[in-house]
Amino acid sequence: MNAISPTPKRAYDLNFARYVYENIDGGERLRMCMQCGACSGSCPIGQQMDHGPRKLFMMIRAGMKEAVLTSNTIWNCVSCYNCVVRCPRKVPITYILHDLAYLAVQEGYEPAKKADNARFAKAFWWSAAKYGRTDERLVTGIYYFSFGIGEGMKRGMANQKIAMNMIKTKRMHLGMPHAIKAKDELQKILAKATEIQARHGKGA
Amino acid sequence: MEKKIGAYLCSGCGIGDALDFKALEGVVSKEFKKPVKSHECLCGDAGLAVIKADMEAGEVTLPVIGACSPRVMTDRFMLPGMTPIRANLREQVIWSHPAGDEDTQMLAEDVMRMFMTQATKVNDPVPFTEGDFSTTILVLGGGYAGLTAAKQAVKAGHGVILVEKKAELGGNAANWANIVPSKPPYHDPQANPLPGLIDEVKATSAIRVITGATVAKTSGMPGKFQVELSDGSSHTVGAIVLATGFRPYDATKLAHLGYGASADIVTNVEMEAKLKAGKVVTKAGSSPKAVAFIQCAGSRDPNHLPYCSSVCCSVSLKQAIQLTKADPETMVYVIYEEMRTPGTTEEFYRAAQEAGVIFMKGKATKVENGSGITVTVADELLQQDVPLGPLDMVVLATGMVPNSTDPDQPAQEYGAELLNADINPYPAGDSYNPTPAVPPGGPLLNLQYRQGPHLPMLADGFSDSHYICFPYETRRTGIYACGPVRRPMDMGEVHEDAMGAVLKSIQVIRNAAQGHAVHPRVGDLSYPKINLNACTKCRRCTVECPFGAIDENEKDYPVVNPTRCRRCGTCMGACPVRTISFDNYSVEMLSSMVKAVNIPDEDEEKPRILVIACENDAYPALDMAGIAKHQYSPFIRVLPVRCLGSMSLLLISDALSSGYDGVVLMGCKPGDDYQCHFVKGSAMAKERLSKIADTLKSMQLEVERVTMVDASIADGARLPKVIDELVAKIDAVGPNPFKGF
Repeated sequence: MNAISPTPKRAYDLNFARYVYENIDGGERLRMCMQCGACSGSCPIGQQMDHGPRKLFMMIRAGMKEAVLTSNTIWNCVSCYNCVVRCPRKVPITYILHDLAYLAVQEGYEPAKKADNARFAKAFWWSAAKYGRTDERLVTGIYYFSFGIGEGMKRGMANQKIAMNMIKTKRMHLGMPHAIKAKDELQKILAKATEIQARHGKGA
Repeated sequence: MEKKIGAYLCSGCGIGDALDFKALEGVVSKEFKKPVKSHECLCGDAGLAVIKADMEAGEVTLPVIGACSPRVMTDRFMLPGMTPIRANLREQVIWSHPAGDEDTQMLAEDVMRMFMTQATKVNDPVPFTEGDFSTTILVLGGGYAGLTAAKQAVKAGHGVILVEKKAELGGNAANWANIVPSKPPYHDPQANPLPGLIDEVKATSAIRVITGATVAKTSGMPGKFQVELSDGSSHTVGAIVLATGFRPYDATKLAHLGYGASADIVTNVEMEAKLKAGKVVTKAGSSPKAVAFIQCAGSRDPNHLPYCSSVCCSVSLKQAIQLTKADPETMVYVIYEEMRTPGTTEEFYRAAQEAGVIFMKGKATKVENGSGITVTVADELLQQDVPLGPLDMVVLATGMVPNSTDPDQPAQEYGAELLNADINPYPAGDSYNPTPAVPPGGPLLNLQYRQGPHLPMLADGFSDSHYICFPYETRRTGIYACGPVRRPMDMGEVHEDAMGAVLKSIQVIRNAAQGHAVHPRVGDLSYPKINLNACTKCRRCTVECPFGAIDENEKDYPVVNPTRCRRCGTCMGACPVRTISFDNYSVEMLSSMVKAVNIPDEDEEKPRILVIACENDAYPALDMAGIAKHQYSPFIRVLPVRCLGSMSLLLISDALSSGYDGVVLMGCKPGDDYQCHFVKGSAMAKERLSKIADTLKSMQLEVERVTMVDASIADGARLPKVIDELVAKIDAVGPNPFKGF
């Protein structure tokens, strides 16, 4: 790999496109993007995005790193895969957007710190990594309280009725969180994965 | 041999059912006192046997065939002896007018009258075959086009004289290591075939290579060109292939794109030299890590080259691929407005994308040279300015200027005004109206022609030829252009182009030796003959000939160079005293055909409108209308002409004074995107027509009676409507007061 770490916090960085091609999941197919706009046209929530995927990809090529990683596009993707199915150049757009979101978190861009789905993903991952399973109570709890104690209480109360109904229909259990048997084996797997990732230049 | 005319009428294809044949036969036998025979299928063996029997018996030498259009069944009616006259009773009579109708019958009878009259006025043409005809081809330019042309001409059995201005063969392509791929899978730059070709040409004894020489003077005509070279040698050649190529656009005019500001801002030509020399390095001596190509540098810009050179995109793709392959760490940006990748170059474009080249659609608005170069791109896809930088190198993709002049020769005044006037096709007030540009320099061949030493050019300086219909031909018969002097092209295209120009040269050499015309009247044996006793030395023929075929002698009389002539008859139409004619085509013939039509009295309310139709497009379009069974007014009488350029104004006054109510001229589109097969013929007709108003006024006639219509070969469905509208318009003006005089 001849990865060049992009210089953070610069509006334009000529090397950003190369970085994306070589380090982002599916980024190597991005070379073939011909800017047809089928992705942006297919996107069901394109209206809620700062830029459609097409424009975001052109921004990558133009080296507009900060604008890309602070764009809400990478957070608003709902993974419907409409764009991936329709892309005439077989660019895995969804993967690219997700990995760009990860990059934004890694490099500490402000919108990434605040993004709802970043908070949720963190809560989800905490549970999955700790127990090998997700516990709805813990995931939602951690997610809600990431907004602060007051906001956490407020959100929790607002969803009280739903929680009760879920318990009634046995969709959510009471008691200790479920966990897989070999939690220590899972930790070994995750440690190895982190090591591989670090070797590929993404850091942990 | 005495000319004996006999008419043959075909009743097949429904002609017999739609017309009164007894009356039609009567026109020939009673009015013209000529034998007439009818048959139910003239083009069949039995029908042809009837004609052949009469010809063999010596009773008929010139058959007039009243059947289908002269454009069909030509092989069937190819009879020994004089070319039969064909009266079109099918496509333009019964297929476009109702059967059994009185007006249709009148039309058919008039058609027979016109073509019987034509038969009485034509003579068997005597071709020009005086003297010796050379089969040698002179190729001017020793670049890839010229070398290919020389090699191909020898393969076809012709001797070649290859003249190159520089001391070495090779031209521009000698500076290139690789070329844009012309072979599948079109993914990688291909090795330049030039060095091998040079060796091959040098080893061919039938090619005489003369380097370090230019053409000092060219006179004569196809088959008999006399070419004097700057080294003092003189050569007789049959045809000339013009393969002088291009010169790169002068980059010093591109200061706004930073040219000259840094040694790292180079043109594509300079980059090519660097790539050929080996590793590309910046002025600081390091391998460039970020390179931007600026496309259309000085192209498609009214202040520079107004046109697209078509190859710069593929050349940049090639150079970008080479740079990324040489050093995978190099980031290459191509700033383009439109990526033009004709044909298989699209595959090459994909290969560049795969190699990681970044394409940015937009215009480079600013190039700044500080610590690294920054190019500001007005990005169309982002709708904002992007400051691309720091870049190590910038490549300006400059276009091609045709070598339609020799930049080392002084410009010549004589004939230049004609050249300039000829090449300004853009109408005043057109939004796209660049100044027509003749590339600086003097004439390449220094033609000793009445119309001057130059080869006429298009507005952008490329040699004038029709891109689609007759690509290699220049407006000087026997001189064929190929390669970038004709239009911008890459080496794959040049290879094909050179072969095309050679084939054209061979064609002219063979046709000239037999006294045949070349395209578009291939095989025509006639040529203009001038009765000098009547000539007033007005020079209109020598000036108006689209091909510069007519020179002037020391007494200012016109001299026709028959093998330069394309037989359009523009000289005949220009001559104010009707003293230019062909053996089988003359103003008198056309005029007699016009007068042969029966003009009904005013009170019969049957107007007659003469349609003078170009044989190349308008006439076949009328045939197409008939084939599609489109109906139109039976009041028109169609007179086919070789080209509207051969239409004399006298023909219009003859028509009007003999009682026609109006005249419609149907010819090809003139102008920059001309469709005229003789380049300037329809334009000449249009110009002559602009002066018709005075003639009409002097005859006390309305201007509306004479109209010109542009017609293309695809107008079969449109022309019937046009005819009906014009007939109604002329009818509204009222009958011609000259009727019955």
